[in-house]
Amino acid sequence: MSYVLTWLGLMALLALTFGSAYLPMGPWNSATNMAISCLKALLIAVFFMHLRQAGALLRLAACIGLLWLALLFGLSWTDFGTRTLSPAPWSSR
Amino acid sequence: MSYLTEGYTLRSWLTTHDHKRIAVLYMVAITAFFFLGGAAAALMRLELATPAGDVVSAETYNKLFTVHGVVMVWFFLIPSIPSVLGNFLVPLMIGARDMAFPRLNLASWYIYALGGLFTVAALVAGGVDTGWTFYTPYSTTFSDTNVILVIVGVFVTGFSSILTGLNIVVTVHKLRAPGLTWFRLPLFVWANYATSLILLLATPVLAMTLALVALERLFHVGIFDPALGGDPLLFQHLFWFYSHPAVYIMVLPAMGVASEIIPCFARRPVFGYRFMAYAILGIASIGFLVWGHHMFVSGQSMYAGMVFSMLSFLVAIPSAIKVFNWTATLYKGSIVFGAPMLYALGFVGLFTIGGLTGLFLASLALDVHLTDTYFVIAHFHYIMVGGSVMAYLGGIHFWWPKISGRMYPETLGRIAALTIFFGFNLTFFPQYLLGWLGMPRRYHEYPPEFQLLNLFSSAGAAVLAIGYLLPLAYLAWSLFFGKRASSNPWGASGLEWQTPSPPPQHNFEREPRVERGPYDYQPVR
Amino acid sequence: MTTSQFGSALERREASLFGMWAFLATELMFFGPLFFGYVHARLAQHDAFVSGSHHMHIALGTLNTAILMTSSLTMALAVRAAQRSGPTRIWLALTALFGLAFLGIKASEWVMEFGEAARAAGGEARFYFLYYAMTGLHAVHLTIGVGVVAWLWLYAKRFSAEYHAPVEVSGLYWHFIDVVWVFLYPMFYLLERYNA
Repeated sequence: MSYVLTWLGLMALLALTFGSAYLPMGPWNSATNMAISCLKALLIAVFFMHLRQAGALLRLAACIGLLWLALLFGLSWTDFGTRTLSPAPWSSR
Repeated sequence: MSYLTEGYTLRSWLTTHDHKRIAVLYMVAITAFFFLGGAAAALMRLELATPAGDVVSAETYNKLFTVHGVVMVWFFLIPSIPSVLGNFLVPLMIGARDMAFPRLNLASWYIYALGGLFTVAALVAGGVDTGWTFYTPYSTTFSDTNVILVIVGVFVTGFSSILTGLNIVVTVHKLRAPGLTWFRLPLFVWANYATSLILLLATPVLAMTLALVALERLFHVGIFDPALGGDPLLFQHLFWFYSHPAVYIMVLPAMGVASEIIPCFARRPVFGYRFMAYAILGIASIGFLVWGHHMFVSGQSMYAGMVFSMLSFLVAIPSAIKVFNWTATLYKGSIVFGAPMLYALGFVGLFTIGGLTGLFLASLALDVHLTDTYFVIAHFHYIMVGGSVMAYLGGIHFWWPKISGRMYPETLGRIAALTIFFGFNLTFFPQYLLGWLGMPRRYHEYPPEFQLLNLFSSAGAAVLAIGYLLPLAYLAWSLFFGKRASSNPWGASGLEWQTPSPPPQHNFEREPRVERGPYDYQPVR
Repeated sequence: MTTSQFGSALERREASLFGMWAFLATELMFFGPLFFGYVHARLAQHDAFVSGSHHMHIALGTLNTAILMTSSLTMALAVRAAQRSGPTRIWLALTALFGLAFLGIKASEWVMEFGEAARAAGGEARFYFLYYAMTGLHAVHLTIGVGVVAWLWLYAKRFSAEYHAPVEVSGLYWHFIDVVWVFLYPMFYLLERYNA
């Protein structure tokens, strides 16, 4: 039964993300969609992928990829976020 | 019956599930690639013996340093210790009968061989001239050599790395013998474990990045090409996110080897075992945070430069701890200068020099002067050749009795080790000076004032070549004529020495139980 | 089956599960640079990305998301059935069918969008490149997943309460494919929909 409930939750979140995309919220649209996607991923991981009853080792393995991608994005941001792009005149936009 | 005598046919070797045989398959393959990459280096040093570019054209020279880099990094250094010594020894050292996934292990060798085939094909088709670093937009837009073919080769071989790493990680977590807790593991296992974590987390990024280069080459979409709206620094961030941890893939297992040899040949337990284990984990993790130090002059923001510079200084700390601890292990020991020990001590010294020069390069202002010069080349060769290759050879000699059941000739072993040490320093120390004086890298000709130092370097390369050929010869000889080895010819501690040399297929007659920590040595009084 | 390196069937199952999670971590790192490229390109060429997104077929994309998430449900039910020696086959078949439906819809979208993509320039060209690359890579993984599920369906008799690790491990892979899509969907279909 928890599987069907999870599925219902996922469908509800899908409706939410689809519907909210039509509300003009500017940058908050992306933030909302991101948050909803994370929630969906969490539901899938915890219930469908059995992280709920998994030991510490599996949970760590599940998180480490995310953590490492965060490192890639975060440290690269120290470059991209502190430098302005000066596109050349011939570079296509 | 040993693992070597369980079937003599080629088929029994090519369809084996035995981690020991797979290790030997890797050993043969990487040796072939080592000499291929070495041949490229020999031609380069021949060219650089004189200032004029008279041996090869500039384009050919570019292809030579590219093949040297690609082959040495991906087809020799990265697999050398983990896929040969790691594959052979990790299950033995933890008291297991095999790796967790033996068929995946065999698959990883075939994948490696397939990748190698593509790379050799690229070579035969005329080579690649982008450098092993494939910087864009040259690799995506301007180079007219076989870039995609070589990228396919490296991409494919990357999966071999990933599968080896997967196997080691799961094996160490799940197959340790009863009583073998984490802090009773030999440091060689810790080192290969940490290396495998890097293999898992970094290699996929390289694979995708190279795939993107290939796609951009094919479809001319602007991901990395500024003329098409892309950003070359995007490539460099992604490439170095893998390639810096990659150098720790190359050096951590070497450190593991040193940590096995030094206690044995000094008859003393390793000094500060826990710190050594933590340092291994520290190097593996901090090693992921420093990649921007390859990009100080690339146009990267200077704030990023400062962050990466600071983090690069940080990663030196666990490395230094290890060097101090190896040295402390020697104190009041009963040191025997067997060939493995000569390699291990050489490793510690040369790694230290290479590592210290890393700090020079991590300093922003100094790097502006030194980057893209021979100083950088000397730095990384001190670590990768003076460090990793020497440790690999030391490990091969130390565990040769276990792997082959034969002793190698000790005197020749010592001569080779010393020849390599001398040849190595003669080759690469002048390159620090050349870099300091401003000689740029990746040029086939240079101003005449650099000739003397280049001559020393090329002479050293000749000595080094002899040094490397010696073990090839006498190790092969020993397979047929070497003295038969007992199960523990060195009197070493470790589960791998509790089983015959060479081991039976299933490693142990009975599953070992472990009651003590590693490095059970007492100095001779 | 003799698995001499493992001390017990439990140890073998645990190793398989851990091995698959470790593999999924590598898969995440494999997709990583594409996500990285997307973030970089979208921040640099925001308007072109919005324009590209408006050319996407949102109804089909939303339908596909629902299909894939439902296939995760049927896969989870297949795993549970295998764990209890239950009707594994029907759930596996449904999962594979949903997977094929997704692929069919995706392929039709690609065909419809290809003309527009080939004509695109500048930032919009990058949008389409990332779209085809990421959904393409996703589809390759999904195809492999369908193949694996089909294989499980063929050999379903082997699995029972005593031995079902391959089904569990394949389930993990399938759910991962679903998770990736859950992020791809808003990235490509839902940019400034209120202005479309």
